[in-house]
Order: sequence, then structure tokens, then C-alpha cells
Amino acid sequence: MATYVLRRLIQAIPILIGISLVSFAIIHLAPGDPTDRFRSGRVSPETIQNLIRLYGLDKPLPEQFVSWFTAFWQFWKPEAWGYSFVDGRPVTEKIAEKTVTTLLLMGTALFVTIIVAVPLGILAAVKQYSWADKIITSLATIGYALPSFVLGILLLYIFSIKLNLFPSFGMQSLGQENNPADIAWHMVLPVASLAIQQIAGWSRYMRASMLEVLQQDYVRTARAKGLSGSRVLFKHALRNALIPVITLLGLTIPSLLAGAAITEVIFSWPGLGYMTVQSVQTNDYPTVLAIVMIGGVMVIMGNLLADILYGLADPRIVY
Amino acid sequence: MERYEIDSLVGAAHGAADGVVDEVDLIPVRTYSQLVRQRFLQHRLAVVALAVMIVLIALAVIVPLATGDQYQKTSLTQTMLPPSLEHPLGTNQIGQDEFLRLMKALQTSLFIGFMAVLIIAAIGVPLGSIAGFYGGKLDNGIMRIVDVVLSLPIFFLIVMIVSFFGKGDAWVVIIAIGLTGWTLACRLIRAEFLKLRESDFVQAGRALGAGDRRIITRHILPASLAPVVVAATLGIADSVVTEAALSFLGFGISPPQASLGNMLKNFEEDLQVAPILLVYPSVTIVLIVLAASFLGDGLRDALDPRQRIEA
Repeated sequence: MATYVLRRLIQAIPILIGISLVSFAIIHLAPGDPTDRFRSGRVSPETIQNLIRLYGLDKPLPEQFVSWFTAFWQFWKPEAWGYSFVDGRPVTEKIAEKTVTTLLLMGTALFVTIIVAVPLGILAAVKQYSWADKIITSLATIGYALPSFVLGILLLYIFSIKLNLFPSFGMQSLGQENNPADIAWHMVLPVASLAIQQIAGWSRYMRASMLEVLQQDYVRTARAKGLSGSRVLFKHALRNALIPVITLLGLTIPSLLAGAAITEVIFSWPGLGYMTVQSVQTNDYPTVLAIVMIGGVMVIMGNLLADILYGLADPRIVY
Repeated sequence: MERYEIDSLVGAAHGAADGVVDEVDLIPVRTYSQLVRQRFLQHRLAVVALAVMIVLIALAVIVPLATGDQYQKTSLTQTMLPPSLEHPLGTNQIGQDEFLRLMKALQTSLFIGFMAVLIIAAIGVPLGSIAGFYGGKLDNGIMRIVDVVLSLPIFFLIVMIVSFFGKGDAWVVIIAIGLTGWTLACRLIRAEFLKLRESDFVQAGRALGAGDRRIITRHILPASLAPVVVAATLGIADSVVTEAALSFLGFGISPPQASLGNMLKNFEEDLQVAPILLVYPSVTIVLIVLAASFLGDGLRDALDPRQRIEA
């Protein structure tokens, strides 16, 4: 297992190089210079020259790329990823701060998704064609068709503006810093708008997977030897039905990241997504590069986690 | 005139021996396209979805064509009007006609959706065909590229491409979605090619002297398009949603141009003043996604040649 994880981590290196090459290429192929936004009357030419020297923007592109990519691995040094063009803070510090809040949002949404979608999918499969199944399937179809921005705005309107039950923006109230209950209260709507769409997808998938397993011979055998319905369901069928669902975990990370960007903007949640929008708008390119890399790391980690869980759930998989 | 074929030789022999031709199992011969049409029409939701899609496309083509740039026209004396004959959906805060804006937005969004899918197919289908047909190192190389693209935080990347290469340009949005979205089509086509390349009809084609190119384009490709057609239908909805998300965040199509996403952009103000203005584009997006997903379901069932229906 340990060697497998190690091997996968080593395999991730070329993928990370690929990601950084792609994002590097986009920034440098784009028309205009990264320092263009500083070329106004208020900024002196010396300041711009300093900036160019600081980021090595006057060096050839391959050299810039290599120096940036090697710096990326020294993430424990505050200056490693450069300083934000906008507020001059070390990018590592900004990223670390926002990654925590985004992971809190995404992790909670994923947790809610799993504890809601898996039972719903099982229920719909076990009682196939019943009213419960029809209601779950229809809701899933509608939930799937509601894009995150539509859902977010809808939730904001109903629960914040009309009913005034939850706050409409931010992560904590004034004077309530780091109060977990207050943060949780702020999280309800963003998590709901992120999770609902995922729940719709996951429950449909869980239902299909469970239906397939329930038709297998070994389930009939288990029933035939007189095991109770719940024992067959949870001991024999569920574990096998979960295996394909686990792969969904890795595939969910990119869509969660995209959803988080939109949700964070709607609810002003101070996370990576919100920061992406701001940094791209202000051409803050050290920050943008770092965000894309962190996003890539998250996707790779999600896939790795899915593969490890896959192996734990399915003893037939040998690493 | 209906043609009939004899279902089984046994039945025919049996019938001939008894001299009772009526007992022979006769089923009408139908071409693949007739079968597809028949199976599709049985899928009621898919037929409704198709009708909705046709209406949406027709509106998106006709209304902006007939009214031109009127959707951009502002009027400070005619702001926030309720729906009327003159303005079927009323007007917004700067006096623009909501109906005309919505129709123009629908046109922009559908155009981006369809074009993005075309680009996805133009990249994914050839790459998938080559990977599946030749296998080996070529396949390995292409699949590694697919792995890298799948590990990209795609939405962030699209945001980056769109804002650095030209904010507000529909073609930049289309290309950004196309360049990042082709992996599914590629993998689907590759899987079909892997399955079909050893099949009898390909061998027969080879025996007749067909070259690789002919086998790929004339023999295998037509037989492997079904899953891609289904994926493309869903891909249109995905692209429409991606464009809307981009414009919503301020990176895609920006005013005075209209897109379904940028009509939602001022949600903070609209929620306080005129929530109804958010309803029109939202409902339109949901309608497109639902129609595409039911259409996809219907096509999946209809295009699968192994599915038989009772005559």
C-alpha cells in the first residue's frame, strides 16, 4: 500500500509539470504584459523595473518557468511563490489561508452529499418504481438541472432575504471571530447550494449501482439461504454497490472546485474561488498561477484518495 | 409496400413442410434509421424535450433576426415596466426590453453551446479514433494527455483563458470550453474503437483491401458514434451552463451584449429590487439543461442497436 501511494505520488509529478506548463503558457501567450496594469502615471518606471527584476520577467521564458517550478516545491518558505501584485502579501500565506476556508466548504459539502445521497440512492433502488423512488428520481433530475449559480441565488432569496434565517454573506459575524457555531451558521446556505447538485448526481449513480448489484446471483444466494433482508442489503449488496460510487469521489473534485468558485462569489465566502475571481480580474499573476497549481494538487489528491478507498472497499484490487 | 423477412430458417422449413405459410414468423424489415425513429418516438419525455429544444432554437434564431439591436436600447422613461403587450416580459432598471434581451441571450448561449460541442468533437473524435485504432505508444501518449487534462482544475483554467485572451468574446469562450472539454468524447470513441477494431466487419473491410484511413472513417467511425451523439447532447447543456457561469462571474459575455449568465450578474441588486428579472434567465437555463438531458436519455435508448422493441 505504502509503495503504491508513493508510486502514485511520483506519477503525479509529470502531471503537475503539465499543469504548470499549461498555466504558464496561458499567462505568457496572452496579449499584454503581466506588468501592464502598473503602467499608469502613478507608478514610477523604477518601480516597474524593480518588479520586473523581482519576478525575473526579463529572463527568457524557459528560465522563468524552471525557477518558478522549483520555487513551487519550497512552499514552506514565505517568499517561495512570490508576492501578490495587489496587496504585496506573500502568495503562500494568501493561498494557505483561503485553501483552509475552501476545503472547509468543499469538505462539508462532500460529507453532506455522501450521508444524504447514499441512503437516498439505496432507498430508491430497493423500492424501485415505488412512490419514494419516483420522488427521489424526479428531485434528482431537477437538482441536476439547477446550475450552482441559479440554486445559490434561489437559496439566498428564500432563506436569507425573504425568511431572514441565514446570513447572506461572509464567514463570520462581526465580534464573533472564530466562533464555530457562528461559522456553521454562515456555512448552511453555501454548503446547501454546493451539495444539492452533487446529491442529485450521486443519488442517481448510487441507485443505478445498487440496482445492478441487487440482480446479482450472490444476492439471490444470500436471500435463499435465509438471511434477513437488512443483512443481505447492508452486508452483501451495499459494499459492492459502493465500489463504483467511490470512483465518483475523484471525479467530483473538479466540479466541486468550479461550484465553490461560484458559490463563494454569491455568498462572499472568503475562499480560493472568490480569490481566483479577484486575482484574475486584477491580473495578479503570481496568485493566479499558485491557485491553478493548488487546484491541480487538489484534483490529483482527490483521485489518489478515491483509488486508495477503492482498494480498501474491494479486496480483489491488488496494488 | 411492406417487405417481410423470414424470422428463422426453422420456422420457414416448418411452415413449408406443413404447407401453411401463415404460421411462419414474419417481421417487417426496418432500416436502422426507421428503428431509431420508432424507438425515439416511444420515449415521450424525449419527444417533448425535442419539441422544447426546437422551439428554443427557433425563438433564438428568429426574434433577434427580426429585431436587430433593439435589445440594447435603453430608455430612462420606461424602466421597470411590468409585462405588457409592448414588452412581453417588462423592462429592466435601464429600460431595456427583457424579452428581447432574453431572446438575444438565448441565441448567444445556444450558439456557444453548439459551437463548443463541435470543437469538442473535432478534437476528441480524431484523437480517440487514432488512440483506439492504433493502440500501443500512440494510444499511451494520447491517454497521458487525457490524464493531464482531467487533472486540471478546468473551471479555473477556463476563467484564466477567457480573461487573459479577450473578455467578452464569444469565440474565446467557445475555444476555452472546447480545449478543456474533449476528454470524454475522446475516451468514448477510443473505447468503441478498441471494441470494434477486431470485429468481423472490419476484417471483411481489410480483406477487400481497404486501408487504415478508409477502415477508420468508413467502417468503424459510423458504428461508434452513438455514445458520442448522446454525450454531445449533454455537452451542449454543460457548455451553456459553463458559459453562463463565466458570464455570471464577469468573465464571459459582458453587457451590453446579452447572455443568460450576464443577465444574472447583478443578482445582488436585482434580488432587492426586481427578483423577477432573475427568474427569466434562470428558467431558460434550467429548461435547456432539462431538455438536453431528456433528449440524451431518449437518444441513448433509441441509438442502441442491441435494444429490440416489439413490433
